[in-house]
Amino acid sequence: MMDMTEMTEQIRVKARELLSKDEVACVIGYETGPRGIVRPFFAYEPDEADRLVWNDRCAHNLTTYLHDWKHPRGQSQMPPSVGIVVKACDARALNLLIQERQLTREWIYVIAVVCQGMRDGDGEEAPLQARCGRCAERTPVVHDVLVGEPTVTPARVDWSDVQALEVMTARERLAFWARQFDRCLRCYACRQACPGCYCYECLAEQVDPLWVGIGIDFSEKFFFHVMRAYHLAGRCVDCNECERVCPVNIPLSLLNRRIVREITELFDYTSGLSPDEPSPLTTFRPNEELTL
Amino acid sequence: MVTTTRESLWGWLDNLIARYPVIAPRRVEGVPLFRRIAAADEVAWDVLRTVVSPKAWLFPDSEVILEIEKRAGDVTLSEPPSAGEQILFAIRPCDARALRSLDAMLVDHSPPDVYFARRRRQVALVGLACRQPLVDCFCTSTGGAPDDPGDMDVMLYEIDKGYLVQAVTERGTSLLSGLTAAETGHAPPAPGSRGESRRMAFQTQVSVPEPAAWPAHFDDAYWARLADRCLGCRICTYVCPTCRCFDVRDYVTGAGPGIVQIQRLRAWDACLAETYRRAAGGHDPRPLKAQRLRNRFYCKFLYVPEDFGAIGCVGCGRCIAACPVNIDLSEVLAEVAQMVARRQQEQMEVFALPQTEGKVSERM
Amino acid sequence: MDTDFEPRIVGFLCNWCSYAGADMTGTSRIPYPPNIRIIRVPCSGRVNPLLVLKAFLEGADGVLVAGCHPGDCHYADGNFYAQRRYALMHRFLDYVGIEAGRLRVDWVSAAEGARFAEVVGELTHVVRTLGPWSGNRMGQDVTLPS
Repeated sequence: MMDMTEMTEQIRVKARELLSKDEVACVIGYETGPRGIVRPFFAYEPDEADRLVWNDRCAHNLTTYLHDWKHPRGQSQMPPSVGIVVKACDARALNLLIQERQLTREWIYVIAVVCQGMRDGDGEEAPLQARCGRCAERTPVVHDVLVGEPTVTPARVDWSDVQALEVMTARERLAFWARQFDRCLRCYACRQACPGCYCYECLAEQVDPLWVGIGIDFSEKFFFHVMRAYHLAGRCVDCNECERVCPVNIPLSLLNRRIVREITELFDYTSGLSPDEPSPLTTFRPNEELTL
Repeated sequence: MVTTTRESLWGWLDNLIARYPVIAPRRVEGVPLFRRIAAADEVAWDVLRTVVSPKAWLFPDSEVILEIEKRAGDVTLSEPPSAGEQILFAIRPCDARALRSLDAMLVDHSPPDVYFARRRRQVALVGLACRQPLVDCFCTSTGGAPDDPGDMDVMLYEIDKGYLVQAVTERGTSLLSGLTAAETGHAPPAPGSRGESRRMAFQTQVSVPEPAAWPAHFDDAYWARLADRCLGCRICTYVCPTCRCFDVRDYVTGAGPGIVQIQRLRAWDACLAETYRRAAGGHDPRPLKAQRLRNRFYCKFLYVPEDFGAIGCVGCGRCIAACPVNIDLSEVLAEVAQMVARRQQEQMEVFALPQTEGKVSERM
Repeated sequence: MDTDFEPRIVGFLCNWCSYAGADMTGTSRIPYPPNIRIIRVPCSGRVNPLLVLKAFLEGADGVLVAGCHPGDCHYADGNFYAQRRYALMHRFLDYVGIEAGRLRVDWVSAAEGARFAEVVGELTHVVRTLGPWSGNRMGQDVTLPS
């Protein structure tokens, strides 16, 4: 297993190469800020490649930034080529966006990294993030260059977080979600961080038709979160960024993962494994019977 | 100025709770927030800083400001009743100072924001001095102090075995009647002069560039680079104690034969949001994320001081802690300070003249 | 159980089959509970599951989505999409606190007047037993003058 310093070096070398040869306008990766916090970094010049890092704090799903890069810039007729560092979960988001015609594969240089999991907090013994603890994939499904040795992890299915809610009654669940949404501010960080949320005008902000008003009350917040989870049905890659960025710690992954499991069980489908397979909610099998 | 024991203070607080709504820091599912408390033991004393500032209790995240009923041609307007008096308990000096800035922005001009002004008049502030800063606090850099009682009605200082209690205003004095004191007669300390705050080492110290320095750097490439990683969410705006932008909409809440009922609702808005400045017809003066992000800093450090004579940032550090992509206000300020210093240096070099005689114009 | 409680049920009925079926119930003089308010849509595939969510948030205690039998859709495949969406949404709504019994998705043909009455009767009974949905207008009090 390659160590993280070596992987950082590989990423830097590749980024420098891409930028020197003008193959990409920018490489989107991670850097460590002055406070020691890892954050997204956009390298434009070959020398800036040395700021890129790889470690177990590179939690952000950088594919969401590709929405800022999918239109032509300046005088150009074409969108720019960009390089991007992706983990396994991020790579599936990439496939999702290619499948949905948001991105063209040829214009993205994928620096895929074999991920051993992200940690929360300080120090080497800091705990793995919950989503990483149950992750069954380490090797990204798409790459132009693969950093790290590909590993095969035994399939591990852990829905215990969702099951903990399912043993409650519906009334108890309503009370649970009411309690969680009570502190929601409608800051939309969950939506902004999600690579699957890219509508020019979100349903939650539309005036005509008016789905929800601007109020920050239970009814609006409940609608927003259920709506967003539903709009991601068959699309969500379970990267859990929505939950990570929430400033008031709402366990949003519990919403999306319930649907992810349902999609797996009903349609035997996992989002983002291939850039060609259409999402189950945009297709059907003739004469199929589903229990409603 | 008196000292009091923990028991006495809690007893006094319980009495207050019986008479007024009291809002204090609590942990809600582990998240420190200002919430209404039902008993003194619900206060989370160890919370230095809530995730969201207490401004939400004076300027709610959404509120009905007007109710309109049209009935067979007659129109009736009514305002929802005022919430009445309330007490913000264990509010920190930075957040209280921010309320002064909100006063300048919302109240001290014509027409005032009557909804905020009414709540502001009816709130009493019982402050709690900070004994140590968080890693990302920088109130002293903006001219504040962690133990400044100046914006409070009552100020509490934690000491061994109890509290030092200071009545700052008349309202504070009347609130404190009923508090059992242990000793009396301490002279009120000047802000920042107490030994503890002198010993406090702020990890984050920035020199805030003065307003006049900002316009020259408006077009700097730095703002676009910074905005690259901005998600365009509203976290920084919504947690901030001095941000006050809002949106107002009318919604039909009921309709029947000859009757329409409408609510005018206002809710928090954020200049960072993509839709913030979109106008009918599609025009948008800040269509790019970089322009919106730049505006946030210019608003705080140039427009608010210039337009209202108030500070736009009290150094609470909430935005630094909450931003998911580590856009760090203190880092931005340091960067701008560097831009300012570089420009000054360049200007010195342009205008530095050798020591010779003759008119300047002849040499140029 | 509150014996004064009258469930408010919203029905999204497709124009070609279930709405016509409901009409048949009426012309056949078959009684069914009056709690349902019907919205006619071109096809069950048009019924965005978020409309169902919105109905609950606006005061409905139960919702019926009825379309043509799969295979008989007037637009050929609308109800196949509806089937997939509701297979998912039905379970998800229960997960967020809207009991599964409150939403019924069913297929009623234009000839099935009696069946429509049966479906509505069953749904109304289930919702009556479940009681009002407590997420309605949580924290708000909206009253219309009588």
